[in-house]
Amino acid sequence: MTAARRYLAVALLSFGIALWAGLPLHQAGRLGNPGFFLALGCAALGLLRLLGEAAMPNLPSRSEWPYLPATSRAWINGVSALVAIPWPQLLIVAAIGLEALHPRRPWHTAVLGVVLIGYLITLHLTESNSRLATFRPQLPLIIAGLGLAAISVGAAALPSGAGGTGSGWLAVLAAIAAVIAAALALPI
Amino acid sequence: MLTVGDSRDRPVTWQLTGHARRLLTLAIAGLVITVISRRAEFAGLAAPALLMLAGRHGRRPASICVQIGVDSAPLTEDDEAHAQIRITAPSGGSKGSSLFGQASGGSRGSSPFGQHGSGQVLVRLTADPWISAGEAEPMKDGWFRLPFVPQRWGVRSIGSVEVTLYDRWRLEQARLTIPLPQVTCYPKPALLRSQVVLSKLPSRLGEHASRLAGEGVEFAGVREFTPGDRQRRINWPATTRRGTLQLNIFNAERAQVTVLLMDVSTDVGETGESTADLAVRAATGTAVRYLAARDRVGLISFGRRLDWITPAVGRRQTERILHLITSKSASGHPLDVVADLPHAALPPGALVIVFSPLLNLRMVEALRGLRERGFATIVVDVLRVPRVGGLTRTKALADLATRIWRMEQDAIRFSLRELGIPVVTWDGQSPLDEPLAPFTRRPVVNR
Repeated sequence: MTAARRYLAVALLSFGIALWAGLPLHQAGRLGNPGFFLALGCAALGLLRLLGEAAMPNLPSRSEWPYLPATSRAWINGVSALVAIPWPQLLIVAAIGLEALHPRRPWHTAVLGVVLIGYLITLHLTESNSRLATFRPQLPLIIAGLGLAAISVGAAALPSGAGGTGSGWLAVLAAIAAVIAAALALPI
Repeated sequence: MLTVGDSRDRPVTWQLTGHARRLLTLAIAGLVITVISRRAEFAGLAAPALLMLAGRHGRRPASICVQIGVDSAPLTEDDEAHAQIRITAPSGGSKGSSLFGQASGGSRGSSPFGQHGSGQVLVRLTADPWISAGEAEPMKDGWFRLPFVPQRWGVRSIGSVEVTLYDRWRLEQARLTIPLPQVTCYPKPALLRSQVVLSKLPSRLGEHASRLAGEGVEFAGVREFTPGDRQRRINWPATTRRGTLQLNIFNAERAQVTVLLMDVSTDVGETGESTADLAVRAATGTAVRYLAARDRVGLISFGRRLDWITPAVGRRQTERILHLITSKSASGHPLDVVADLPHAALPPGALVIVFSPLLNLRMVEALRGLRERGFATIVVDVLRVPRVGGLTRTKALADLATRIWRMEQDAIRFSLRELGIPVVTWDGQSPLDEPLAPFTRRPVVNR
């Protein structure tokens, strides 16, 4: 995959995540709008950061700053600040938060999970300029994780009885325990 | 020839990759939302990230063994060169084995380092500004080839190598910056095919035909045989025609003494195309050409200090001259000494070729002194007049200043020509034969 294609894939996936998690906005309540625009901003700035890192791999070190003109220093400051903030992580948190603001829609959450994993893998491949084969050893883990996600979604999609608060907590704890147990039990 | 240094163990510090931090964020955010919203599907959303993170507890080497190889032979500007770096397992472990199975660019390396599983090594040459670096190429046995092209002469550092180690799961990485040693880069010699030859040459055997008769190979004429002459030189057709014994005579072959005066006391212009760059390239090309013709060549470096090499012949002299050109040693003599250089450095009857931008008035005075001492001197002017820029408001003033400066420069050159020192201009691009053409067609008359 060429670099341009990778950047395009990252752009599509990051904006896709924001749109998928945020829409429809009217169902997300009062925090939906700011959350949606926060996610879009994180996606855009994350992409800008990625492009900036590629365009300027060697920023001048701080010892060279006194010899640079003020405009260059301001520009480098801006780029350094942009690179320092973990925009992809903020995008992940914003997307999950947005998804949680919407009413329960298990299959929608499952798709978001798959897209998020795809986004993280693509982002890492783009950053490190590696091939997709790099993730071949992790393929069983990814498949197992997606299987667990499917089970969780299936469990969430089942019509719940009138169990009350206690049964809801129990379901959550069971899902978390299943995920952690799988993580510990898998031979790596 | 590649000189390989000793292998050294270097400790590495492993830390989470950006990928691992993002997976961790996804896993924690998913689990927190699961607990807060009591929706089990968010635990499923966190599951793949959590499982991918579970592979983090692998063993990783605490140090790696690094070996660096660099070309020991001097480089030349714009010539391709390369350094090599070998990343292997620490010497305490299985010595010589490659650390990881996969090398930069994704191609397979040699046997993996079994004790610590497998991983990936990425190598990148962070070159200094004078170098144009290429992509690192993986080779056999953990070696990486680091191609680069030096773009400026001098004794300089190549830069450093950034080694990034990834574990098998891409969850932890270790970065290491390894400085590369200095290399010597000779200037790219200016092209010179012809030679300026003096009319009177010192009595040393060489390859230039002099006006005097002697033991050369260039036919000069015939004369009458006198007792004691070598019989094998008798010209029988001429003898038959004239009726008396006639003898072939040949021109003597002499070596010329050429002293190159390289003025690097002022450096004007863009890096790589400055007056000092042009002066050293021209001096290098001329020295190489004259030494190839078995002339005696010496060099006077007129920089911050005055340094010189007495004229001599041979390959070793080429190396000495190139070493003096590239080195920036603070040793030498004050610039005032140039008028009183010893005979060894500036032998009588030598041709003096000067490469100078003529911006230093001490150099101009030194040239006058040389001429007064009777040296045949040719000045190759390496100053390229810069283009004047600036805003419209200041342009008129800049134009005026440039005109005054140019008139001053013209006056300096005119005064030198009046003294009998020809000044030719070299643009740094064309062969040196072009500006020197008026002096290479026939011998330059000297006193």
